[in-house]
Amino acid sequence: MLNTATEKTPLVEMSHIHKRFGGLHAVEDVSVSLNAGEVVGVLGHNGAGKSCLMRILSGAMKPNEGKILINGQEAVIDTPQDARLNGIETIYQTLALANHLDAAANLFLGRELKTRFGNLDDARMFSEAENALRQLNPNFKNLRDAVSNLSGGQRQVIAIARAIYFQAKVLIMDEPTAALGPSETAMVADLTLRLKAEGIGIFLISHDMHDVFELCDRVMVMNKGRNVGTFAIKDVNKDDVLSLIIKGALPDDWTPRGQA
Amino acid sequence: MSEVQTRSRMRFLPSGSALHKLSALITLLLLILAFSFTSPAFLSVNNGLTVLLQTAVIGLLAIGMTMVIITGGIDLSVGSVLALSGVVTGLLIKAGLPVVPAMALGVVAGGVCGFVNGLVITKMRITPFVATLGMMMIARGVALQLTGAAPISRLGETFGALGNGSFFRVVEMQANGFPKVIFPGIPYPAVLLLVMAVLGAYLLQRRQIGRHIFSVGSNEEAARLSGVDVVRTKIWAYTASGALAGLAGMVLMSRLVTIQPNEGVMYELDAIAASVIGGASLMGGVGSISGSMIGAFIIGVLRNGLNMAGTSAFIQQIIIGVVVIGAVFIDQMRNRN
Ligand SMILES: Nc1ncnc2c1ncn2[C@@H]1O[C@H](COP(=O)(O)OP(=O)(O)OP(=O)(O)O)[C@@H](O)[C@H]1O
Ligand SMILES: [Mg+2]
Repeated sequence: MLNTATEKTPLVEMSHIHKRFGGLHAVEDVSVSLNAGEVVGVLGHNGAGKSCLMRILSGAMKPNEGKILINGQEAVIDTPQDARLNGIETIYQTLALANHLDAAANLFLGRELKTRFGNLDDARMFSEAENALRQLNPNFKNLRDAVSNLSGGQRQVIAIARAIYFQAKVLIMDEPTAALGPSETAMVADLTLRLKAEGIGIFLISHDMHDVFELCDRVMVMNKGRNVGTFAIKDVNKDDVLSLIIKGALPDDWTPRGQA
Repeated sequence: MSEVQTRSRMRFLPSGSALHKLSALITLLLLILAFSFTSPAFLSVNNGLTVLLQTAVIGLLAIGMTMVIITGGIDLSVGSVLALSGVVTGLLIKAGLPVVPAMALGVVAGGVCGFVNGLVITKMRITPFVATLGMMMIARGVALQLTGAAPISRLGETFGALGNGSFFRVVEMQANGFPKVIFPGIPYPAVLLLVMAVLGAYLLQRRQIGRHIFSVGSNEEAARLSGVDVVRTKIWAYTASGALAGLAGMVLMSRLVTIQPNEGVMYELDAIAASVIGGASLMGGVGSISGSMIGAFIIGVLRNGLNMAGTSAFIQQIIIGVVVIGAVFIDQMRNRN
């Protein structure tokens, strides 16, 4: 299975990405690929460079070196708009919501629906947002409140709804369930599998080993900005992954678990 | 959004910005009531028109200022830009250009100053306070340099039309041969203010640029990540503010039928005060044109009423200062609860 996947042109290929902040090497020579219909877990300790790597793919940050291929073609992703044009949507760790605007205004921010005369079509944006949000959380209320008045979980649901509403080909989820309760977390897990089945490629950043093993096809572990290993999920167990995250190396006695 | 939002909330209980506007409006009405007791002439048609005229200039400035403040910025240059626009118009008329195109170019000159503000803020990454403080000095200096600090007068009767004319003016010839004004009419500046305020509110509430202005002031990084062109949005807001300052300059100089390069000193502070009294937050993301118009009228009525009651200009400054701090303090108290 892994073989057939690697023969196809990957949906996204990030190669030899470097990102420096002054003397700090936040991302150092990282290469990673993502296929259609695949969930790749991006793991690592706090400050390992996961968000930086993903922000480079979302156009939110420019790398110092490295290139990005989309469907085998080199892509220029200098701005978030460029990423969207390439079908890349992102759920940011910071959520990236405008606090004074309501849910619908945030969901459509930068891509507002307009009437024939070019006015904002608030009625349509509201009903679309209502549908999108209810799918993720059936009890979503206070749709007309400024999002600063919403709970952390509700805000996260808005960020998730925004990323999936526009039918991405590549979805980046940076700790999408950090603020969610158990039932919402389960809903996001279902959603992830559904999107994967639709052929969407997903990068998932998570610290939750349970989620990672349930959802991911492959994992890529970062340690101090470096890629310390990419594995099919069946070849590693939780201890292996934890060892990679903490020490940056596999346990000494490791052999691919899938073959054992 | 917020029109619908405001309406749906009003049904239950006014909250947030709606409540702020309501209390500002009540303050305005109380002021009018108080002044009509202290000076009987206050509540006359003529004085009402005087207030309208006086408020038109501050109101026009406050429309642009509100947009800038909602983006999280500030525009300290509007008073000087107002003067420079007037000087440009005056010099063009003296050079033989007809009044209307000369005035249009004066407004354009104001827009250019605003555009430069926007460029300095976004491209050179200078904070709005410093960038517009610089423009405040530059525009004033250019205005004084071009005129040698002397007023430009004898600009012709048409130049005075915008500031002194009015719609529906009814004048009757009396038997003794003197005209008698039956209805003084609705002054052009008041109509202009109304038109610009409605246009400004429409742009802020119903158009994409308005939504983007709010988003930039609310969370600039989120706006950028959502695909909002932050640079373009800010430049737009400062350009609008500059052009409105130019327009305010036309109204003011036309009323005086003279170009005064010294006019408009400290007007930016009145415009900021009007926006803030009307509920705009200097932190960005909050504000409305309707609120700022109420704020402009509060300042206009205060000035006029205190004048008629014989209060000195110094005491007026003190009172308006207290009102500004009070308005913001009350708003913060309410938000904390
Ligand atoms: N804008 C920035 N300026 C300077 N340093 C930064 C910036 N963004 C990130 N860094 C640094 O880069 C390193 C990697 O940060 P990053 O956000 O990618 O970590 P992360 O793996 O996502 O961590 P977490 O699990 O806590 O989210 C950190 O040391 C961080 O301090
Ligand atoms: Mg992170």
